[in-house]
Amino acid sequence: MKLAIATLVLLVAAPLCAKEELVTLPKRDSVQLTIYNSEDLTLVRERRTLSFKQGSNRLQFSWANTLIDPTSVELMPVGDAARAAIDVADTSYPAESHEMLIWTISCKTAGSYPVEISYFTSGITWQAEYTGLVNPNEDAMTLTAYVTVTNNSGEEYEDAQVRLVVGTINLVEKIINLAQPRPQSAPRPSREDQGAARDMDRMARGRGGDEGGGGGMVKPKEIIKGGLSEYYIYTVEGQETIPNRWSKRLRSFEVAAIPLKTVYRLEPAKFGPAFTKVLEFKNDEEHKLGKEPLPDGLIRLYKDHGQGRLGYMGALASKYIPKKDEVKVNVGPDAECTLAIKRISLRKKDLTFQNGWLSGWTTVEEFEMEVKNFRGRAVEAEIHRSMQGDYDFESADGFVVHDAATRKVTLKLEANSTRKLRYTVTTRQGSNARK
Amino acid sequence: MIKTSWCLCALLAVLAPALAAKEELVTLPKRDKVQLTIYNSVDLTLVRETRALTFKKGNNRLQFSWANTLIDPTSVEFRAVTSADKIEVLDTSYPAESHQMLIWTISAESDLSATVEISYFTSGISWAAEYHGMLAADDSSMTLTAYVTVMNNSGEEYEDAQVRLVVGSINLVETIAGLAGGQRQNQRMEEAYGEMRKAARAADADRKKDIVKEGLSEYYIYTVGGTETVPNAWAKRLESFKQAGVPVRSVYTWDTAKYGAQLCRILTFKNDEAHKLGKEPLPAGIVRFYREAGAGRLGYVGAVATNYIAKNDEIKVNAGSDPEVTLKITRSSHKKENLSFAFNGRQQFLQGWDTYDQFKLELKNFRDRAVEFEVNLVFNGDFDFESELAATKVDFRTQRYTLRMDKGARQEVVYKVRTRFGTNARK
Amino acid sequence: MNKRILMTFCFTFGVGAMISLLNPTPADARIKLATLPDREAVVVRFDNPNVVMVEEERTISLQKGVNNVDFSWAGTQIDKGSIIFRPADPAAKVEILSTSYPPGEAALTWQISAAEAMSVKFRLSYLMANIQRETDYRMLVSKDEQTCSFKHYFKIRNWSGGRFATADFVTRDGKKFEKGLENGEAKRVLVNSWDKVKLTKEYVYDLTRQPEGKVLTDYVLKNAKEIGLGSIPLEYGKVRIYQDDGSGTTAFTGEDWGRFTPIGDDMRLNIGIAQDIKIEMKKMVNDVQNRRGNVYDTDEVDEYEIKNFKDTEAVVTLVLRVDGEWEMKATTSGHDSFERVDNETIRFKVKAPAKGTPVKLRFHYQKKNVW
Repeated sequence: MKLAIATLVLLVAAPLCAKEELVTLPKRDSVQLTIYNSEDLTLVRERRTLSFKQGSNRLQFSWANTLIDPTSVELMPVGDAARAAIDVADTSYPAESHEMLIWTISCKTAGSYPVEISYFTSGITWQAEYTGLVNPNEDAMTLTAYVTVTNNSGEEYEDAQVRLVVGTINLVEKIINLAQPRPQSAPRPSREDQGAARDMDRMARGRGGDEGGGGGMVKPKEIIKGGLSEYYIYTVEGQETIPNRWSKRLRSFEVAAIPLKTVYRLEPAKFGPAFTKVLEFKNDEEHKLGKEPLPDGLIRLYKDHGQGRLGYMGALASKYIPKKDEVKVNVGPDAECTLAIKRISLRKKDLTFQNGWLSGWTTVEEFEMEVKNFRGRAVEAEIHRSMQGDYDFESADGFVVHDAATRKVTLKLEANSTRKLRYTVTTRQGSNARK
Repeated sequence: MIKTSWCLCALLAVLAPALAAKEELVTLPKRDKVQLTIYNSVDLTLVRETRALTFKKGNNRLQFSWANTLIDPTSVEFRAVTSADKIEVLDTSYPAESHQMLIWTISAESDLSATVEISYFTSGISWAAEYHGMLAADDSSMTLTAYVTVMNNSGEEYEDAQVRLVVGSINLVETIAGLAGGQRQNQRMEEAYGEMRKAARAADADRKKDIVKEGLSEYYIYTVGGTETVPNAWAKRLESFKQAGVPVRSVYTWDTAKYGAQLCRILTFKNDEAHKLGKEPLPAGIVRFYREAGAGRLGYVGAVATNYIAKNDEIKVNAGSDPEVTLKITRSSHKKENLSFAFNGRQQFLQGWDTYDQFKLELKNFRDRAVEFEVNLVFNGDFDFESELAATKVDFRTQRYTLRMDKGARQEVVYKVRTRFGTNARK
Repeated sequence: MNKRILMTFCFTFGVGAMISLLNPTPADARIKLATLPDREAVVVRFDNPNVVMVEEERTISLQKGVNNVDFSWAGTQIDKGSIIFRPADPAAKVEILSTSYPPGEAALTWQISAAEAMSVKFRLSYLMANIQRETDYRMLVSKDEQTCSFKHYFKIRNWSGGRFATADFVTRDGKKFEKGLENGEAKRVLVNSWDKVKLTKEYVYDLTRQPEGKVLTDYVLKNAKEIGLGSIPLEYGKVRIYQDDGSGTTAFTGEDWGRFTPIGDDMRLNIGIAQDIKIEMKKMVNDVQNRRGNVYDTDEVDEYEIKNFKDTEAVVTLVLRVDGEWEMKATTSGHDSFERVDNETIRFKVKAPAKGTPVKLRFHYQKKNVW
């Protein structure tokens, strides 16, 4: 443990200049981390059982060298008995220290009571990551989701219950600013190394412990998902120890044989200017998913080339995917399915003059789109075409209105086939334009 | 506490004829009386001190020096109060070796004792007014206490001085601080001084035990009862008057020209008899408001700097915004009407139009008592104003609503404005 | 007989207050002898939103005649002009003759005339700089998001240079608590607590609040008796929101600045993004009509596709804006209700069915007389 927080000192209650009485620091009974990924924020909740005298008790809490937001530190009695007996009269932030506070707690009946101390810290983050293993036919994949917890908070949390919150909470002030961190002192390599070695040790021990050390097959920990207001909470089964400055990756789920759809798309607004291959699936039951939303994170797709050899297909920094929503991973242009557009004619008509000068005209342009599928199986394609100004669009090839400026067409191409689509764009320019 | 002492006012009685006469030092007489007339609009104070002097028959030389003070050397004047017909100032000389000294040659008809007055103007003494308004818990009345604070940075301590304060602005062609540096006399300055001396003397008439206020030409003179000692670099605050039960009106006012885009609570009272005031004008100063907070305790409301308030004039004090009383103006509809076009060849151009806007004024009084509102709306250009609720026309472009709202009340006022633009405008 | 008393604010060694008898004679011989009256009944008031007023009581033994009492406040920032000194009993037979301010000192001298020798209790009030205040709230929302407990904290930080061995602190809404406060110390106190407060949850799409077009989750608390509040105006302050997670603990679900909320008004708090509701906008029609020279009207249809991926139906509020003169056409469809908030703003309520079934709001409007 590199840094220690929370030295609890019970002070004699009444007079101001009272002698301070040091009480043995009670161990944390339990600690729970609720880590947010939209903000650099973690809610730490620890329970301790403390002895209180009847009357006024003073309790000191300090957090030197951590990233704790002092405005968030709170003490609450736990359970009816404790709530009935003790009450926080005030919280004092003494002048001498910015990393310490003193609670004045009034106690009706002397005794030991469980209390919960909670506070925000920055420096602990988590991130989702996904790996998709696509079969050679590109019609199914195995999706593995991971969560990685990284602790740079300055504090080690041992045997903590870890909860991860999926969602974007509103935070009006950054916790790191509230924590007012001091400039970091120069690193001391020798101690760091020792620490790291010790941490490694414990990590190993911890794993051994979790797995029972029996050498038998042990299942990875389950991550239990639950909803809360507009967010989801992922609770990691059991307890985790994450030493300061370490990251730990846990498997969230793994689902095999998720059906995949391949659509070739020209949709500049979403997928850039190229005609590109997009692998699509949905976060629903039909796709063996849909039990929970997928937090934002990087989705990496690999293709199984047979004999266990993998090839990298593409990646998508995915936004949060709600249940039942669709996921589209752009794996880039594909030489096996191409699109070419050419203008095959241009005419100008309806020339208008004012005072001998041209003031308005109308262009009529004819285009041809050629889509070629060299693949040995049928593919789907969706092509968007946007126009500007006061235009008319005419085509007999199945184009429909996408929005005021865009027409789109969806196609199914047989294996090794070519399709040609024609359309005419008439654009009124200058004083001919009605807009 | 006398940091610097000026004017070891030395009286030199010199045997008259002989040029190389022996100088005879005469004991310095104590100031019998000193009177300060302090102006607050300019950095100027008239000091008049009287002393009893003994003169010998013939020419007497009287030396007056003022080292380390801020006295205007051009303003020093000698005047005999008694035996004026027997004493005459023959000349005033400013010795070359000292810029902070002068010598009068005074001829006396016979050996005599006379009371003389030496007067001069100095800078460095100032005064300011200050007020405390103790509002009743419901803001309906207040106890107004007025103070005057005299600040002495003149370099000289005036002990047991009669203090008179001049309210009102006077015209001064040069600043005393500049003249104290020893610049040459100025004719117009002398005239100004003459006027002020005359005015100051005219106000001598009577004195009471209090701060007495009296009108004088364009100014008011406050005379502090008794005498005061204000050591150099000290300030001294005195109560000018205290008046309980002054009725106060509190009006929530919307007036963007005066108070910005904010609904402000304006406390209003009049400097007249109906408000138990009006005995004198109130000099400019800071007014601090406090409110009764129960059990004789006070709460602070706010402070504001006021200008000079003439008798019978109204005083409006902006006590700031109050989050519990709000005003919101929204434009609920906007239309363009009566579009008229002109042709330039085949091209058609818009040349005139009206805008017809409907506004909604929402007033909310979350306070636990009724409040009054005054909402001033200013419009530009050629406009028509329509409103269901009667409004008062304040000037050609300002309309005013006056409302009273009960506690917890909300009210909506709808008004419409048609504004003519381009060729539609008749103005 | 003249008597000079010195009263200091000075706190360097924590001696509450000092008042001293002074050599009566010349003004330059102001000798400060430390003895005399303690501060009694100190009240620190926060009525004014910007400044803090301190009022204290001191009992002073006066001699018959004119007494000089010194008050000094070295090391603290007191607004000299704001000092009010008055007998606690207005009928007391004492008169404050004048107040003198010595040069270069944080001090003053009162000249008090007493009809006879007596002990008089005086009240001394002044504005004191560098006492900061802060309000914050803690809201604990029930699992079903129907009710909450709402706790109101008041925090004072004392940088004034003075210390308060004990004082009554009075908040703007009249709540009083007695505490001691050292110089440099801050104290946070629970001043009000309300339970079972009803709250309303709203989903809001408003590009001026969320330019990326994400849907905001708001809680709305009406500061009124009928929902369990309404006893005091709520001060501006940070509201930290927690929710009962149904397993014995709570989770932090967001925070927002609560604006000053008078009784009867609403406090709207954004807790975060409603990530399971997605809205996508497309302009489906964008035509020009009724062209007259350089003036024309438009015909526009904005289509908002709303997908609610939650397991339950949700009502989404869309706050949309159109500038200038315009009117909504009757062919607008997909909404449950609408309100034209002002000329530029319209607010639609749309019922979005559960599990991602899309619903479309077709907002059809005509801009008029555009140039």
